[in-house]
Amino acid sequence: MNPPTFEYFAPTGIDEVIDILAKYPGEAKILAGGQSILPLLKSRISSIPYLVSLSEIKGMSYVVEGKDGVKIGSMTIDSDLENSDLIEKRFPILHDATKQLADPLVRNVGTIGGNLSHADPANDLPAVMISLGARFTIRGKKGSREVEARDFFMDTFTTALEPDEILTEVYIPFWGRNSGGAYVKFKKNTWNFSVAAVAVQLELDGNTCKKAQIATTAVSPKSGRVESAEKHLVGKPLTDDVIKKAAEEVAASAEPVTDSYGSEEYKREILKRITREAIKKAISRAGGN
Amino acid sequence: MVELSEKLVKGEGRFVDDIQMPGMLYLGFARSQYARARILRISGAQLTHKEVNFDIAEVGEGATEGGSELLKHPVLAKDYAGYVGQPVAAVYSDDRYVAEDLIDSVDIEYEPMKAIVDPEDSISREEMYPGVKSNAIVDRYFGDDFTPDSTDIVIERKMVNRRIATNPIEPRGVVAAYDGNKLTVWVSTQSAHAIKEGLSEALKMEPDRIRVVQVDTGGAFGLKGGLFPEYVVACYLAMKEKRPVKWIETRREHLLASRPGRGAVAKLKLFAKKDGTITGLKGEVIVDNGAFTGGSGEFSPIFIVKQLAGAYHLPNAYVRALSVLTNKAPQGPYRGAGRPEAMYFIERLMDGLADKLKMDPVELRLRNAATETYTSPLGFQVEKSRPFLESAIRELNYEKYKGKENVGFALLILYHATFGGESARIKVEDGKVRVWTGGNAHGQRHDVFIKTLLNEELGVSEDHVEVMKGDTDMLAEGVGAWGSRSSMVLSSAVIVAARKIREQIEKKQGKYTVQALLAGKWDHYEYFNYDRMESSLGANLVTADVDDYGRVKVKDCLSYYDLGRVLDPDNARGQNAGGAVQGIGQVLSEELSFDEDGLPLITSISDAGVLSADLVPRFDIKFHKSESPLPSKAKGVGEAPTIGVPIALSRAIELATGKTILETPIKPEYLLPVEKE
Amino acid sequence: MVNKKHISITINGEVKEAEVEPRMLLAHFLRDQAGLTGTHIGCDTTNCGACTVIMDGKAVKSCTILAVQANGRKVLTIEGLSKGREKLHPVQQSFVDKHGLQCGYCTSGMILTSYWLLKNKKNVTEEEIREAISGNLCRCTGYDNIIDSVKDASKKMEEEGDPIEEQPEIKVRA
Repeated sequence: MNPPTFEYFAPTGIDEVIDILAKYPGEAKILAGGQSILPLLKSRISSIPYLVSLSEIKGMSYVVEGKDGVKIGSMTIDSDLENSDLIEKRFPILHDATKQLADPLVRNVGTIGGNLSHADPANDLPAVMISLGARFTIRGKKGSREVEARDFFMDTFTTALEPDEILTEVYIPFWGRNSGGAYVKFKKNTWNFSVAAVAVQLELDGNTCKKAQIATTAVSPKSGRVESAEKHLVGKPLTDDVIKKAAEEVAASAEPVTDSYGSEEYKREILKRITREAIKKAISRAGGN
Repeated sequence: MVELSEKLVKGEGRFVDDIQMPGMLYLGFARSQYARARILRISGAQLTHKEVNFDIAEVGEGATEGGSELLKHPVLAKDYAGYVGQPVAAVYSDDRYVAEDLIDSVDIEYEPMKAIVDPEDSISREEMYPGVKSNAIVDRYFGDDFTPDSTDIVIERKMVNRRIATNPIEPRGVVAAYDGNKLTVWVSTQSAHAIKEGLSEALKMEPDRIRVVQVDTGGAFGLKGGLFPEYVVACYLAMKEKRPVKWIETRREHLLASRPGRGAVAKLKLFAKKDGTITGLKGEVIVDNGAFTGGSGEFSPIFIVKQLAGAYHLPNAYVRALSVLTNKAPQGPYRGAGRPEAMYFIERLMDGLADKLKMDPVELRLRNAATETYTSPLGFQVEKSRPFLESAIRELNYEKYKGKENVGFALLILYHATFGGESARIKVEDGKVRVWTGGNAHGQRHDVFIKTLLNEELGVSEDHVEVMKGDTDMLAEGVGAWGSRSSMVLSSAVIVAARKIREQIEKKQGKYTVQALLAGKWDHYEYFNYDRMESSLGANLVTADVDDYGRVKVKDCLSYYDLGRVLDPDNARGQNAGGAVQGIGQVLSEELSFDEDGLPLITSISDAGVLSADLVPRFDIKFHKSESPLPSKAKGVGEAPTIGVPIALSRAIELATGKTILETPIKPEYLLPVEKE
Repeated sequence: MVNKKHISITINGEVKEAEVEPRMLLAHFLRDQAGLTGTHIGCDTTNCGACTVIMDGKAVKSCTILAVQANGRKVLTIEGLSKGREKLHPVQQSFVDKHGLQCGYCTSGMILTSYWLLKNKKNVTEEEIREAISGNLCRCTGYDNIIDSVKDASKKMEEEGDPIEEQPEIKVRA
């Protein structure tokens, strides 16, 4: 269980990273923390001819509060997010996710940029970022651009990144005063992937839902917004019945597949229940009841 | 007492992969991708069956029926592959990474065949090999047929313990070196002698040309008791190239191709009078043997069936023991090795009977616990269990839990593998007392009790004693550390050897003193013969809750075991907690599952269900101390929790969910409660 | 052939320089090239934690880090905990005293993860310990004695301090 050979680059600047990516389009991959890529290489499921490590680049790990939101460097490790008071206070949904990611030691190496760019539908951070309405800064040969989280995840293991592009920063906008979110994850044992997980971010006006963004993990080929379920919430007082309907819609619109974790029906049922739990938790965090 | 611990906490253990030698070759295996296939062509391999033409010899007590040479496990596949992961060809390099690259360059052409996956289907399918009479390699009846009373209550159940990987944290591994005459093998093992005997048979080599040395062994749980194909190939290559050869198993190889345990199905009917007195047992037990012999499938169905009286008075029994061929790796012993299966089957029948009679399950057990020691119609001696059970109910405080918590209770009988005895050698030189034993510890810390016993027998303090690892050149014969036997026969061999040393000194010097012992040169080898299988009683109490998602939370997990003389209470507690976690794992998550084509679905230790610390409770054990007839007066403990905990936990979950639990592991899906509207 | 890379890693206070193949895992570098075989490999899939080391103050799984990624960093292995001192490190001593090991294979990882936990938290609760070691599997102990060892180590570290702090070359940032 050791990796096949590859050419390794460890540049000290992002421009060099982009140059190497551009030189070997489709064949070069970025190595951030490596907690997804190295297991793949070790199991020899895939081989990657050129690995471009970010380990020698300084200044890509930060969590900074701005006026309208929080900026996170893409090399910020999961445990720094987990232990960030700022994140816990402003985005409890992200705190929920980071403290349940893999295990504590993997969180000491795995990065937010790696988690997102890998675009594994079983990874936790895509759904969280989509529900928070995060924007990603991407750099490539043509310069810098911004992509909404919801437009970033194209398919399983496929993102909006061009072969010469790298995700450098995640920006999460602050939500209104009466907002809150929750990430609820259901997994068999500690280290197993999720059977299902759901991210719910809400803004309330009294007991009425002003804004809702919901995204799922591990139950579809890619993480994406479940707008059909959000519609059940927005503009309505969040009664048990409304919550139930929204949760049923999340479950109905998911595309889980039967595997060793359970049947499709089981996963839908779990998803329905965790969605209800997540909505209720989000309401309570948003100051509702 | 802390010498070994101090070494291990500093990272100074010497495990097999720590061995480095000049010129060492790393061995790797190209393995079958199919559960059942003809092998048409192999290219790019350095070693194939054409050159390395050996088999793993049959082991175990049960005679293989309808035997055929084809049932023997070839160390490299001939023209047939019988399970995914079976070694087909070997490659090697002086770099472990390159060896792995070479595996990828081996090309094997297969003609796939329809796999036999479900053990219950196996007998009705076509024979797996031409020339075998049936796919049942064991098919025997135990007890005598009987006609149940027409007024008897019957409880009929199908129960399943699915396959589990042993998953020691250190995988299998071996280093072999050859000097032109003698083959030396360093191996992670429970028995250096079993490896030596196996190698001698497989390689057709004189035993005195083989030396097997045990290195620090990072857990074994039954896995590392025997010889594996990879070891034979490593030895062959070391002799061929005259260079040291190392093979270290990957976890994936472990999950595919080591010998997993459990894998048994029981279809049984328990008969009882209306007052709960059991009158008889009928049915069959089917063991999922895998594709070849060499594991424990020839032995385990017989062993399971013989124990099916549990700790009860069972007047009549007639049970068929079957072991069937399937396209999976050979089944092997896993902590308990037939004991957990047998007790699970009878105890879950008892719980079912209690429910049917609307009786308290513990009350039912009391009614049927053996009031005298007797030999069950299935063959094993059942010891008088009623007094033990009465004290277990008290000690485990069953009445406190009854009716208030989801509480499961198990009564078990642990049959120790004491037969065959064990060897020990004590050699004194330069003021140092060195001890070798035939059983090789793999985490049980025999060193601790050996030092205690030598202090008692010879008055020698522990810093003068060095407990050595297994080494076939230092000890003529030996059995091995398994079957909850070491605290009984290994300790007794040490005691007897110590007494003989004392006699030597007394004879020579008139009087024994520690000074005389340490000043002199003494050497005694003792084979402690023992031909009986001893047993001991145990009980477990487990409480659990199940949440709205069907997640099980184990709360209290208590053991009450008869250890006879407790040689080392700390280690007994450790053995209990470790075994209990494995018992919980068996019920909640541990499984090696396959799809309908026999392709394994489990590829990591976490998916195999090994539990981490955040998922398990604290454990507690109370000792019952009824001394054994052996010189050490002790009784074994290692396997007891893997027997009792799954039973009691299954019952607790049954009470928490109202669902009948007859299979391990329980599919989480099965436990998901239906929501009330 | 792929070009080898020059790396320089400070291991247990000593700078180790080497030319390595980029694909070499840190665990193999430590074991096969630096001769520090106390770091074990158990599962290959980043689950079991037998390969845990401390890198730049954080407990990490060295089987899922390339040696080249550790270039320029500080690595503490189990051998470094009591290096240069006769006495065991308090965490090691607690594992001995409280029987926190049986076969000893997971032990290096358990001790280093516990050390990392104790550097970050005082008066750890049982729940915090269980969570912290949830990425380290033990198949022997059932965890009870490991948890007692960590609790004991927590006390010892508060009473005796961390001897590594007195060795500036090994000193670990929390």
